[in-house]
Amino acid sequence: MATAPGTLLQGTLDLLVLKTLSWGPRHGYGIARWLEETTDDALQIEEGSLYPALYRMERRGWIEAAWGTSELGRRIKVYSLTARGRAQLRTESAQWAHFTAAVAKVLRTA
Amino acid sequence: MTRPTLPLSRRLRGLFWPVPIETEVDEEIAAHIDLLTRRYVASGMSEGAARAAALRRFGDADRVRAECRGIRHDMEADVRRAELHQDLRMDAAFALRTLRRSPLFTLVALLTIAIGVGSNTAIFSVVQAVLVRPLPYRHAERVVLLWNSYPQSGLAQAAVSPPEFLDLREQLRAFDAVAALRPQPSTIVGDGGEPERLTAYVVTPNLFDLLGASPAVGRGFAAGDGAPGSERVIVLGHALWMRRFGGDPAVLGKRVSVAGLTRTVVGVMPPDVRFPDAPLGFLRERADLWIPSTWEQGRAEERGSQYLAVVARLREGASPAAARADVDAVAGRFRAAFPDRYAPPAVPGWSIDAVPLRDQMVGAVRPALLVLAGAVGLVLLIACVNVANLLLARGTNRQREMAVRLALGADRPRLLRQLLTESTILALAGGVLGVALAWAGVRTLVLLEGGDIPRLHETRIDGVALAFSVAVSALTGILVGLVPALQQSRASLRGTLAEGSRGAGDGLGRRRLRAALVAAQVAMALVVLVAAGLLGRSFVALQRIDVGFSPEGVLSMQISLPRTKYDSLYKLAAFFEQLQPRLVTAAGAVDASAVYPLPMSGDGWGGSYTVEGEPTGPTQPIPHAEYAVAMPGYFRTMRIPLRSGRDFTAADTRERPAVVIVDETLARRHWPGEDAVGKRINPNGAPGEWATVVGVVGHVRYSAPQEPGEPQIYLPYLQHPQATMSPVVRSAAPPAAIAAAARSAVRELDREVPLARVRTAGELVASAVARQRFNTMLLAAFALAALALASVGLYGVMSYLVSQRTREIGIRIALGGRPRDVRRMVMRETMLIALSGLAVGGAASLALSRTLAGLLYGVAPTDGVTYGAIALLLLAVAWLAAYGPARRATRIDPMVALRQ
Repeated sequence: MATAPGTLLQGTLDLLVLKTLSWGPRHGYGIARWLEETTDDALQIEEGSLYPALYRMERRGWIEAAWGTSELGRRIKVYSLTARGRAQLRTESAQWAHFTAAVAKVLRTA
Repeated sequence: MTRPTLPLSRRLRGLFWPVPIETEVDEEIAAHIDLLTRRYVASGMSEGAARAAALRRFGDADRVRAECRGIRHDMEADVRRAELHQDLRMDAAFALRTLRRSPLFTLVALLTIAIGVGSNTAIFSVVQAVLVRPLPYRHAERVVLLWNSYPQSGLAQAAVSPPEFLDLREQLRAFDAVAALRPQPSTIVGDGGEPERLTAYVVTPNLFDLLGASPAVGRGFAAGDGAPGSERVIVLGHALWMRRFGGDPAVLGKRVSVAGLTRTVVGVMPPDVRFPDAPLGFLRERADLWIPSTWEQGRAEERGSQYLAVVARLREGASPAAARADVDAVAGRFRAAFPDRYAPPAVPGWSIDAVPLRDQMVGAVRPALLVLAGAVGLVLLIACVNVANLLLARGTNRQREMAVRLALGADRPRLLRQLLTESTILALAGGVLGVALAWAGVRTLVLLEGGDIPRLHETRIDGVALAFSVAVSALTGILVGLVPALQQSRASLRGTLAEGSRGAGDGLGRRRLRAALVAAQVAMALVVLVAAGLLGRSFVALQRIDVGFSPEGVLSMQISLPRTKYDSLYKLAAFFEQLQPRLVTAAGAVDASAVYPLPMSGDGWGGSYTVEGEPTGPTQPIPHAEYAVAMPGYFRTMRIPLRSGRDFTAADTRERPAVVIVDETLARRHWPGEDAVGKRINPNGAPGEWATVVGVVGHVRYSAPQEPGEPQIYLPYLQHPQATMSPVVRSAAPPAAIAAAARSAVRELDREVPLARVRTAGELVASAVARQRFNTMLLAAFALAALALASVGLYGVMSYLVSQRTREIGIRIALGGRPRDVRRMVMRETMLIALSGLAVGGAASLALSRTLAGLLYGVAPTDGVTYGAIALLLLAVAWLAAYGPARRATRIDPMVALRQ
């Protein structure tokens, strides 16, 4: 069962993508694979939903795009993190840690 | 600094981004699905199954595509906006730097634009205040004035009698309210202040409701006010309230004496309500206060005693045509009921004229204002040409810069935008200066004008005027910048770089363009100057008119005696009889007398008379004349020539036979070739009351120098005493001394009688042509500006053309050309430009001359002398403008010129 993208917490996908790109430039497919592997496919996102997130972040200046070549020898867009994106990743990671810690605390008391 | 959020600028993207935005998303999605498919194939699926699985895994590709495209579009817009912002900022910084680098150019251009924009803003504000801004009444657009119109006697707007008013009120159907008013010269006394002469109007109580004016304090008039037996009430104007009562709201209920009767103040109108706010027919002055009256008992009055102004309000939604038809229908009923009074042949051409309030107020000044607006428009165009020429001249020097920038890859639209930014900044800065100029100009105008043009005093540089000047400035910037910018950005690379290195400068095309611009300037200057010249000549002609009396050394004033105190004809007569000798002894006066109405004072009095022995009846129109009441010595005081017979004397009293004095035009009309003295006329229409003509005097122009007026009849004051008279004193003493002496003479007789309207007769005549003087002065000022700007333009362009031809002239001189020939060549070029401008301008002036015709007196709109003189003036200016550059040309050292 694929999880609908809406059920991912707002902004979580952005955070994951930023984190992925922090290891180096990648195209959209590559991001999807990396996410699949590192989460053992636990998220099961519709891969198409990556793209609006990527475009939005490009518009915000967190990531930038350049044309590269895919494994199939095709032209493909390669995304990389900008300085601003790196800063964003730091804030969002901190917020996420804060958030999950708080939720975990609540769950423990139950 | 806000940088575009996209790391690559759009232009760089254009260079390095191989995929159009439209296909970018498609390609990306396709690549993803291909990669996914290959992975599934690698894990053992068939090609078809793998693709299906990939598509499933990808999700809704259409939605993703649409969403991504939307974001990409927003992003593009962001980038464009940021880039435009940045470009403009850069252009502006660059333009400011350039302007600062050539301060003289900048200063001249700024001043030129300031003159253009300033004069336009000032006149726009005046037009706005006088012609456009709504009147201060809610129903103003539905209000009309109704007049008796007698075109045959030249009386287009005659007053209405009370019975006529009552008939109109009853019979008009297209109007929902009809009101009447008449002036009541009044003195206010008894509230602690000095007696003061005021302009009061007696009005029907519905007037304010009809107009849609509400009081600022207290109440307006109610239906019962003014009825016989009701409490006597008044409503004050705001100015009077502030001036005399300190703006104290406790004025309500206060009892003051106005026009001889004690009345209670019940309300105060707001500041902008002074109805009549501008001269409306015979209503001349703005109101200080209003007194109610109903005229219900007016039925009994003589139908011919016409002294009311009638105001009516159109029913909501009624068309002007319906109103016209309604008024005509009532007029038809009048003709049927009183044929001897309204119908031909007794009174041919009579009708009731309905004039919208706005037309009545400002109709007369509209043509003059439109001419002024046209003139300032031309001044602005001339200013534009000057600045465009300056920019062109500088552009030539910057041609190399432009060529280099083009060579380095700047695109033409970008270059064009930069040049336009520069001219627009220049124009907007000039516009700011211009608004300051306009502000000062408008204040000066209002001071200079002196209250003759309705609503002029309301002129303000308001938001609308500011918006106008910004628009004009921006337009100027674009207009001024466009031609040079187009020229420069077209600069051909090779040609300019090569040409520039040799310093040859301008091409033929650009020289022609500049010559054409200057010729256009000369043409426009000619149009403005001709208009000013014609108005000037017309004004001189007005000054030269013999008005029939000699105003030099005459001081006039007005006295209105309160009827309560001077309640008999005997008392009235006694006052002025006693005053006259006191005035003569006062301040070394030569002569003194009194008259009513005073010539050129704005007051007028007309009426019909019959002549003994001349039949009147249906076929014979009743003759009409201007009337005046005069004391003995009036003609001598005013130096009105006595053609035959005698002046009035102290013996012409009510106990003696009735006498009159007529003017020469009346004598000629009825007794050509005979002596009028001894003939008899009936001056007031009462049957059998004949008066003998005892004297014939010269004709006097009563209303204005340019108005010939009607024949005149003078009645002796002692036989026709009345409360209001205008004493006139001829003396060599200064006017202020005579006024002081006259004031004390009046005070000796009655402390409560104020002296009003103290003015020299010269001022009276001048005020009768005040509007013409105002128009002439204003147009002359604009014409001077046009001339100055055009001269600067001519000079600038001629010096420039000479400097551009330095090499050519150098060669000519080197080859043995004589300085005189060189000079002649330059002069000839200038004169050719000027002459072609004059030809075009002359034709334009002739075509436009008809619009001026209504403003001119004693000079034809095609007056050859004016056209010739102005053309000569402009030729002289062109010659002078060219002379300096031409002399400089002869001094060119051929060696220097060639080496350059």
